[in-house]
Amino acid sequence: MADKSGNAFALTCFCPIKSGHEGEIAFADLIRYKLIDWGLDEDSPMAKVPNTYLCRYYVLDDVYSQSLPGTDFYDRWYAFWSIFSDDVRRKALPYEDHLKSKYLVFSANLHGDLDHWLRGMWRHAQGPLRDIWQYCYGFEMVNDEGSFVQYMRKCHRSADLFFDGSNDLPLQQQLRSLYLKQEFGKFVLESQGLPPAQLQQAWQAFAKRVDLHNPDGPAWRPGQTTLD
Amino acid sequence: MSNIAGKAYAMNVVTPIRWYFVWLNKLIFWLAIKIPGVLTGLITLSLIHYARWVIVSRNDFPHLSPEQPREELKYSYMFFFSNFNGSWDQYVDSFTFSIPGGLDLFWKWNIRYPNSVPLMPFHNYIRYNQVDTNHYYNATPLAASNDVKAAAAIMDSLQSFDKAVANLSPEEFQKQYFAVLRKHQNDLGDMQPTPIVSLAAHEVEMRRKRELAQHAHEHDHEGELHG
Repeated sequence: MADKSGNAFALTCFCPIKSGHEGEIAFADLIRYKLIDWGLDEDSPMAKVPNTYLCRYYVLDDVYSQSLPGTDFYDRWYAFWSIFSDDVRRKALPYEDHLKSKYLVFSANLHGDLDHWLRGMWRHAQGPLRDIWQYCYGFEMVNDEGSFVQYMRKCHRSADLFFDGSNDLPLQQQLRSLYLKQEFGKFVLESQGLPPAQLQQAWQAFAKRVDLHNPDGPAWRPGQTTLD
Repeated sequence: MSNIAGKAYAMNVVTPIRWYFVWLNKLIFWLAIKIPGVLTGLITLSLIHYARWVIVSRNDFPHLSPEQPREELKYSYMFFFSNFNGSWDQYVDSFTFSIPGGLDLFWKWNIRYPNSVPLMPFHNYIRYNQVDTNHYYNATPLAASNDVKAAAAIMDSLQSFDKAVANLSPEEFQKQYFAVLRKHQNDLGDMQPTPIVSLAAHEVEMRRKRELAQHAHEHDHEGELHG
């Protein structure tokens, strides 16, 4: 399983959407509209879920049929043999595939244990999650943290390759370090050219203000978009 | 549609692959994990937060209820998810120009993959197979991937530095302080809200502000009537 990279986990779920509609709007479109209507950044329901680095939702209506020319192995093979037969050329065309259900695709990059994170997701965002997932097959069985974890496990498909280009620290530590980086940048500018004794005093005041050694000291908020 | 959250862009690409080549693609991914150096190109592209490839076999789409029809697909499907900084063009072009070989290695067995070079057929292929995100959340929208990594390094350094300089003379302190600055001179970039790179996201934000203002106005008006 390639879902893990250190302490970072790549969760990918494909949740089949029921075929049906409410009024004149298909369930898949209702999900889409509701997701678009969720708050952004700090106002997203996912901002309340601890240790969520990044996550996304999209509705997969269907798969894609390829029509443009390509360079895969078979294209070259058929390109050669089609010199002799038009049948071969026609056989080179890709099939047209269609899904029978639409899928809600949910992908998250998170820190730590998956079950623990899923329980936190249910605990902190239960209302909005129900609002979305009510249109999915099998979700009627979900009524608590445990059944939510089971449901998501059924929808989960493992990654074949997970690349972590960031780091796998707990989110709170990332947010704390970003705050310190920003504040330290300001300190560097403000203290430029100070004599050694004043610089040392300024540093001590800075370390106290940002509570440098306290892991629970000031930090950015999850999803914060302004520097207020 | 919300492909952008702060400085991150969410890309989703869905591409078909012949079912009997899935094992080969999975083997390539497995080797990429096992052999150090295969992912060096990706690491060099430091604009990526996280990326993943998930291959769902044609018979492996979740089936959760007897009422749900079973899929009857001819191909298996490879799902690619990436979170990166910058624009779509910058990202796709950087793949083409920096790691064309690695990219071809991962997609080579997908139906009608055009190769990463030349650029335009590759652009067309990605655009054609891309699905827009409906909701995208980023816990650190003010920070690029490099900021997150730099911040962790700075925090460690500052904590060690503070302990090390506790009893030093001012002159010795200054010397150590300059050493820390030199070490992190490339990490100290100021982080600011992102400029608008998506008019769609900007419009959503503006609409939300208008709605909130209207709601507040109506609330005040009701208060006046009842008062």
